[in-house]
Amino acid sequence: MSATALTRRPGFGRLAAARAPLHLISLAVVALVVAAALLAPWLAPYDPNQVDLGAALAGPSADHLLGVDAAGRDTLARLLLGARTSLLGPLGVVAFSTLAGIAVGVVAGWRGGWLDSALSRSTELVFAFPGMLLAVLIVAVSGEGLLAPVIALAVAYLPYVSRLTRSLVLAERERPYVAAHRVQGHSALQICLRHVVPNIAPVVLAQSAVNFGYALMDLAGLSFLGLGVPALTPDWGRMVFDGQTAIQHGYPLSAILPCLAIVLTVVAFNVVGERWADQVARRDPR
Amino acid sequence: MNALEIRGLRLRLPGTARPVLDGVDLTVAAGETVALVGESGSGKTLTSRSALRLLPTGATTEGRVLVDGQDVLTMDAAHLRTLRTRKAAMIFQDPRAATNPLRRIGDFLTESVTLTKVMTRAAATERATELLDAVGLPATVLDRYPGQLSGGQLQRVMIAAALMGDPTLLLADEPTTALDVTSQAEVVALLDRLRERFGTGLLFVTHDLGLAAAISDRVCVMYVGRIAETGPADTLFAHPRHPYTAALLAAPPRLDAPAGRLAAIDGQPPDLRQELTGCAFAARCRLATDLCRTRAPEPVAAPADPGHLAACHHSELLEGSAAHA
Amino acid sequence: MPDRPTGSAEPGNVLAVTGLSRAFGAVRAVDDVSFTLSAGGSLGIVGESGSGKTTTARIVVGLEQADTGEVTVRGRPRHGRARGRAERLARAREIQMVFQDPYLSLDPRITVEAALRETLRLHFPHLDHARRIAELLDQVGLGTRAADALPRHLSGGQRQRVAIARALAVEPAVMVLDEAVAALDVSVQAQVLNLLADIRADTGIGYLFITHDLGVVRSVTDEVVVMRHGRIVEAGPTAEVLAAPDHPYTRLLLESVPRPGWDPDRIAAARRALAAG
Repeated sequence: MSATALTRRPGFGRLAAARAPLHLISLAVVALVVAAALLAPWLAPYDPNQVDLGAALAGPSADHLLGVDAAGRDTLARLLLGARTSLLGPLGVVAFSTLAGIAVGVVAGWRGGWLDSALSRSTELVFAFPGMLLAVLIVAVSGEGLLAPVIALAVAYLPYVSRLTRSLVLAERERPYVAAHRVQGHSALQICLRHVVPNIAPVVLAQSAVNFGYALMDLAGLSFLGLGVPALTPDWGRMVFDGQTAIQHGYPLSAILPCLAIVLTVVAFNVVGERWADQVARRDPR
Repeated sequence: MNALEIRGLRLRLPGTARPVLDGVDLTVAAGETVALVGESGSGKTLTSRSALRLLPTGATTEGRVLVDGQDVLTMDAAHLRTLRTRKAAMIFQDPRAATNPLRRIGDFLTESVTLTKVMTRAAATERATELLDAVGLPATVLDRYPGQLSGGQLQRVMIAAALMGDPTLLLADEPTTALDVTSQAEVVALLDRLRERFGTGLLFVTHDLGLAAAISDRVCVMYVGRIAETGPADTLFAHPRHPYTAALLAAPPRLDAPAGRLAAIDGQPPDLRQELTGCAFAARCRLATDLCRTRAPEPVAAPADPGHLAACHHSELLEGSAAHA
Repeated sequence: MPDRPTGSAEPGNVLAVTGLSRAFGAVRAVDDVSFTLSAGGSLGIVGESGSGKTTTARIVVGLEQADTGEVTVRGRPRHGRARGRAERLARAREIQMVFQDPYLSLDPRITVEAALRETLRLHFPHLDHARRIAELLDQVGLGTRAADALPRHLSGGQRQRVAIARALAVEPAVMVLDEAVAALDVSVQAQVLNLLADIRADTGIGYLFITHDLGVVRSVTDEVVVMRHGRIVEAGPTAEVLAAPDHPYTRLLLESVPRPGWDPDRIAAARRALAAG
């Protein structure tokens, strides 16, 4: 288990060969989505929960640029405000799993011995248990709310980060500059925090960018199942769920648009993360 | 015919202000040992690699590189493959990095000639056994893995591998740098014996002037992509005609010199982003004048010896001064 | 014939090593090694790969632990790993080390100035750091212009000067130089060796010079220890050992240095004879 390669899901392999235009487009998508989420309250033309039953299932028009869903709510407004929940969730997952993953990985890689075995075995245990299932279990117990699925997924994503960190630390620890700092009298903690972690951070953060996409997908999946996000909160996964009935009635727009948003965002984060990792690897050949 | 003849080789890389190799002339006759001496960044490795057209990506070249009379820089892919397997071979600095740890020595030795259908497998194994014997290793080595051999033994395997195609030119790029001092002698002795026995031309690339003096017929000293001085090994060391050669001879700590300060060369070579006007060594040279800073010197033969050339405007000032001065 | 120091805390010796041994599995990497370094002196440890010279150096600075034996600096024995901050800093001020590869022994992300400042802040928190940094850079022959540079923007020789400055910043009693000039070009090597000689003359720091290069030993050490297969085979004043080597291995090392009229065949034969004997 000493692979320092990023972990990616099957099917995303081909994107690794992303060429420059794809990367630029992806960067633009990421920027757009983030901007939309930040500025949503000012950009949204309507309140996302304002119901206009008369216009239910209407197609795009001057009043409703992207149409209206089965409950008579403006799709554009829900998409924009949904971007907030849809990005905030994965952000929490990534922030927690990155911080905790780096901590666990550094301790395991640096200390080695029984502590390493214990930490590695427990992360493998988490690996073996499907993240989604864990999230479903936790949400089922704790009821509605974004916090529970975020924590569940963060725990599920932690091993990806900690395993990568551990193998990077193992390699970094043997570098002469680490020995040089030890001879200088620096404590292990100082060396780790000031030198080792900043040197391995770009690779770990690239993995976290990729994880962001996956976490978005998983959270959307959960809210599609009706778990996690409360019913009225605008959220892309929830919108797909709400749009199901509309599809059956022959009005697919309100379900397809959030799907599209999810797919585009996930792919964009993946491409950007991969590209970042490649750049780090090229700049710093080990 | 010369084993290797390089004429006016100029090599440019993207993102550099000046050619990395700037008009290199170099000849290795059949059965001759030529040492190519230089510091890191002098272009010695690029020069030797150009004989196999192993050029960095994006490199553009001018001039001619003839191996066994054929121009390497312009030949098609099929000829190039024949050249690399049959006419010229290279021994690298680090034998561990140049072998696959998961393949047996026997496969490593025979694969290039059997894959190109130069020999049958049986003939190749026979030749490999013969060459291992020539480099002083038993035939049992064929079944070993690289990890089971010492650095010196592995470098001898590399030499045997280089001789598999019976090349007319052998390029050795710092073949002893990764080895211990005492194994260095063994590898050098071996290369010398094999050169005599097979009549191979040997281009020995090294940063060690002492080693170059000890083993070669002729020496080329390179500095910043140009040949500073070339000549017969003994005269070049006794009477250097280029200040850089003289300085290189004086700089290293030597066993027979008294303890005390070393004759260091101040400064460092100009970097590749810097354009050069005049002599590349001018900034570090004690003899430099305005002429040196404005006009690059052409190689000029010594009055007494047409084979001893130095690219220096003031080589007459060094005339007669011994290396240990 | 190993030189046996009579007492590890003998006055005048800044470093004393007695009966050092270290095994890695069945291999005795360091086998009963003893030597002393007088204050302000310079001792060379010569050997080839596998001689145990690097392991000895790493034990001396505390990067490895010995199985048996003792390292005493300024009369103070070092036992086991350093415990606590005070002990760590005290040890750092006893011995510093300069590594072989200047490309790898500096943190690639940190400028020269920040690297020196970090060391000074640790050891001398109340000093005027800016002035001391300028002093150190000047001492190793680097202009203040180098202060803002990242390691990758410096040449090999410049980086090694930074590494030396960083070791000097701690103001150690002993500096271990592990093949510190082996990776440098010939012309730069001489500059750095001269610099090291100047620093020793100015500061009186003792040098432990680990090298495979007898020319380097000749030019910068007063005494030398020759190691082979983890053991000391010969020790004594450098000039004497190099002029009249006692041990056949020392003779072989000397003959192996290439020079005009060098006979590689004879050396190869001598090496085989020694390996067999």
